[in-house]
Amino acid sequence: MGREVSESCIDSLLTEMVSTYCNRFYATKPELAARRIEAIGYQVGHQLSERYTMERPRFSDHLEAIKFICKDFWSEVFKKQIDNLKTNHRGTFVLQDNRFRWLARMSVDPPTENGGLPQDPSALAENEATQLMSMYLYFPCGIIRGALSNLGISCAVSADISSLPACSFVIRIKA
Amino acid sequence: MAPVGPRSGDAIFASGERVNAELFTLTYGAIVRQLLTDLEEVDEVNKQLDQMGYNIGIRLVDEFLAKSNVSRCVDFKETTDVIAKVGFKMFLGVSASVTNWDADGTCCSIMLDDNPLVDFVELPDTCQGLYYCNILSGVIRGALEMVSMKADVTWARDMLRGDDAFELQVKLIKQVPEEYPYKDDE
Amino acid sequence: MIVCVAVVGHQNNPLYIQSFTEADDALKLHHIVHCSLDVVDERVNNPKKSGPMLNETFLGLLYPTENYKVYGYLTNTKVKFILVTTDLDVKDADVRNFFRRFHAAYVDAVSNPFHVPGKKITSRTFADRVSSIVKSFGLSSTV
Repeated sequence: MGREVSESCIDSLLTEMVSTYCNRFYATKPELAARRIEAIGYQVGHQLSERYTMERPRFSDHLEAIKFICKDFWSEVFKKQIDNLKTNHRGTFVLQDNRFRWLARMSVDPPTENGGLPQDPSALAENEATQLMSMYLYFPCGIIRGALSNLGISCAVSADISSLPACSFVIRIKA
Repeated sequence: MAPVGPRSGDAIFASGERVNAELFTLTYGAIVRQLLTDLEEVDEVNKQLDQMGYNIGIRLVDEFLAKSNVSRCVDFKETTDVIAKVGFKMFLGVSASVTNWDADGTCCSIMLDDNPLVDFVELPDTCQGLYYCNILSGVIRGALEMVSMKADVTWARDMLRGDDAFELQVKLIKQVPEEYPYKDDE
Repeated sequence: MIVCVAVVGHQNNPLYIQSFTEADDALKLHHIVHCSLDVVDERVNNPKKSGPMLNETFLGLLYPTENYKVYGYLTNTKVKFILVTTDLDVKDADVRNFFRRFHAAYVDAVSNPFHVPGKKITSRTFADRVSSIVKSFGLSSTV
């Protein structure tokens, strides 16, 4: 087993990175903040896939590489595997994590069912939380894209949080 | 039953949730590299890293106090000692020690035995002025401020810049008298 | 004795090449490395020849020349490692062991946040590690 740090370290770092880019650098340009956060994830994913594929045979097709992301790669990063993998067999893969760790531990609470009618202040806060969360998700999307790109697969990755605390990552492989 | 008395950094680290240090190290590295691209000036990057650390430090204090069970330290000496011996261990899993106290007890050095932030890192020639680990000095500055101690925290020695150790100099500027946070009537 | 090692990117762009000879034969060694790349491509694209070893990172002996033996390795990220040695009686286990350690050094070098993928590896730490791996080549086959 390699070196470890407390999970608070990575949580604090990611929260602060997102807030630096979204609130301080590009407060009025969310699309630029998103691109930077994705780029940071991309570099991390690129480097991690280099490390985690050491001592294993080369993948012979896309599916094998995607399965590697779902199993070994996800386990290294999140200590669990992806719960569900779907594909349309035309280059789109959906990776669902039933309880995505980084969202579960985020300091902003996900919108909960508090039964009430959507009241203005809470709806606003909810909206803000969702927005921050989607910013945050550019990081793992970048990680996946970076990892696959280093394995020779260029793709676009997006995240779907319509059924929290589950999170789905949609990978579209470029022809 | 809640444990009584302060817990050691080792115990807290061992019992808490931990992650693969590579993920943390590489993420920090990617952030530094991206900041260099966006801000261009090395000095500006040093400042941002310190600011990010400061923001993290003021938030981490609560977790630190809750998990470590240390009672609020009263003096600067005791506080820096707890940061080095318990704080570094419980978050980064490494030990640190305090040395080089000046005569009036307001300035000391925190020495890091090991530093997970710099695994794999080699500074390119274009970044010679970069304090790569500046986030750590910010964290300490922020944490101290939350316990009412205003301090300057700077790197005295940095192995990435060719020194033989990682040494943070912590200088107390002023100690703000503690205010009681609760009010009787509202 | 190892006379040359090289790291070559997936577009056959050289990322690192280092010779370890006194003689002035760098040009010749570079040529040998260059020729070996075609052999790697051929091996990988004609899986029949590799048989059950399909997709293994270690590609084995690429080709012998009069004075040298050339071995290859291809990572999952399509980066090629080439080893040129003058030893004509080389143990397979030694070469495998060499590539395993070389790969670990490479992975650490590209984990430097300032390394740009696809650019030459300029790290001093990497160069030092490589030369120590090269020096200990064949001294012991144990892990």
